[in-house]
Amino acid sequence: MSLVAEAFVSQIAAAEPWPENATLYQQLKGEQILLSDNAASLAVQAFLQMCNLPIKVVCRANAEYMSPSGKVPFIHVGNQVVSELGPIVQFVKAKGHSLSDGLDEVQKAEMKAYMELVNNMLLTAELYLQWCDEATVGEVLEDVDQCCQALSQRLGTQPYFFNKQPTELDALVFGHLYTILTTQLTNDELSEKVKNYSNLLAFCRRIEQHYFEDRGKGSSSIRSS
Amino acid sequence: MAAPLELSCWGGGWGLPSVHSESLVVMAYAKFSGAPLKVSVVDNTWRGSRGDVPILTTEDNIVSQPAKILNFLRKQKYNADYELSAKQGADTLAYIALLEEKLLPAVLHTFWVESDNYFTVTKPWFASRIPFPLSLILPGRMSKGALNRIILTRGEPPLYHLREVEAQIYRDAKECLNLLSNRLGTSQFFFGDSPSTLDAYVFGFLAPLYKVRFPKVQLQEHLKQLSNLCRFCDDILNSYFRLSVGGISPAGQEMVDANLQKLTQLVNKESNLIEKMDDNLRQSPQLPPRKLPTLKLTPAEEESNSLQRLSP
Repeated sequence: MSLVAEAFVSQIAAAEPWPENATLYQQLKGEQILLSDNAASLAVQAFLQMCNLPIKVVCRANAEYMSPSGKVPFIHVGNQVVSELGPIVQFVKAKGHSLSDGLDEVQKAEMKAYMELVNNMLLTAELYLQWCDEATVGEVLEDVDQCCQALSQRLGTQPYFFNKQPTELDALVFGHLYTILTTQLTNDELSEKVKNYSNLLAFCRRIEQHYFEDRGKGSSSIRSS
Repeated sequence: MAAPLELSCWGGGWGLPSVHSESLVVMAYAKFSGAPLKVSVVDNTWRGSRGDVPILTTEDNIVSQPAKILNFLRKQKYNADYELSAKQGADTLAYIALLEEKLLPAVLHTFWVESDNYFTVTKPWFASRIPFPLSLILPGRMSKGALNRIILTRGEPPLYHLREVEAQIYRDAKECLNLLSNRLGTSQFFFGDSPSTLDAYVFGFLAPLYKVRFPKVQLQEHLKQLSNLCRFCDDILNSYFRLSVGGISPAGQEMVDANLQKLTQLVNKESNLIEKMDDNLRQSPQLPPRKLPTLKLTPAEEESNSLQRLSP
């Protein structure tokens, strides 16, 4: 979005409260949706759940073409359409909801840095694996391992990356890791890398249970002991 | 560690040991970790492949790309990060990702894509260090490489007007600079009292942007407003890369003169006597500096002269 358009959208966004019928559009599950797009969609869903903003997920084969920027996922809120996690976080902030307001400047810088790390390494890995670029698989797996190690160290024994409250970083990490762990690929090596880090697994399970199963999406919520 | 380590990299200017970010990252890391590097500057007699510079050569190894070179140095026990905690190590990785995704595209654009900058500064500088006829081809190739790198990190080119991409990358770069400034605060380095890998990367990316004189300077202007980042670069330059007298570039010399001028003014404010001496010197430039009048005069004249001295 150009600078002017973004400012305009922010102003309009601020005017109206979050409607009940907000919708998220993504491609069809199963065969159509790409690994990276699935991760992006999950990240947005997790983020909105964390903000306590209701969202209905709709799968459409032509979601990409419906999106004005060509990017998925996108959300349709009131009469506005916003795509990708970054702009959606801004849009939601303009409506008065934020997960990172409590962070100081240094923490905000850290959060943005870790989000870039995830985008850089995990997204790249997903893209490579989708297109099965065999030549670079070794390097990609190494990058993923390095990224997971960094995330695992940063998370430590905390429930979320910035201790007690989740932020958009938690949403983004969840989107990517959960996708990697649950998507059936010919090559298991990627998910094996993530599984090496028990605190990351626990993190994913925690968010899944708290923000997805508990909200009535699943039939029953299974609490881990 | 007995084997000589030779680093081939692009040369310096504008007070910098190198104008090339990646070369600078490696040079800084070597200084921080104490790695004894023999630096050989790429000029037009150099015979190697220029596309891969900086390149580290040892007896049995040739390593390119800053990340790989730093890894190699660490394995040779030249480690600038051994005092970092696991979390700080993780932070390093994250901040480097931030630099590469949010700052680098705009830096590349400033050097290689922005026409005024490229044609008046970057291209001539690199071309003069590349032998003919490669000097006609290589800078253009480096410029295209930079443009491709920018577009790659920004996504789908056909959907965007180049100008929109440009606006976005400069916006991201300014935000990244702000974040770095916030993170650094008043500390000398990013982690504690001694410099580490992250400091090398930040210095490498920032210093050329800070020092090289360009016609189109929007990102540079933004950086100059973040005084702690400028101080960070200057501190590293002064502590680790102090150039010999012969090695001061014209820009460096100007700065030295300006500083000297400021210092002179300060001293003048404090002491009327020195001001008077200056006055005397200016009025009679041919004569050697006069000794203080009081030394040679008779007591009566001495009194009237000291009265003279007290007047402003």
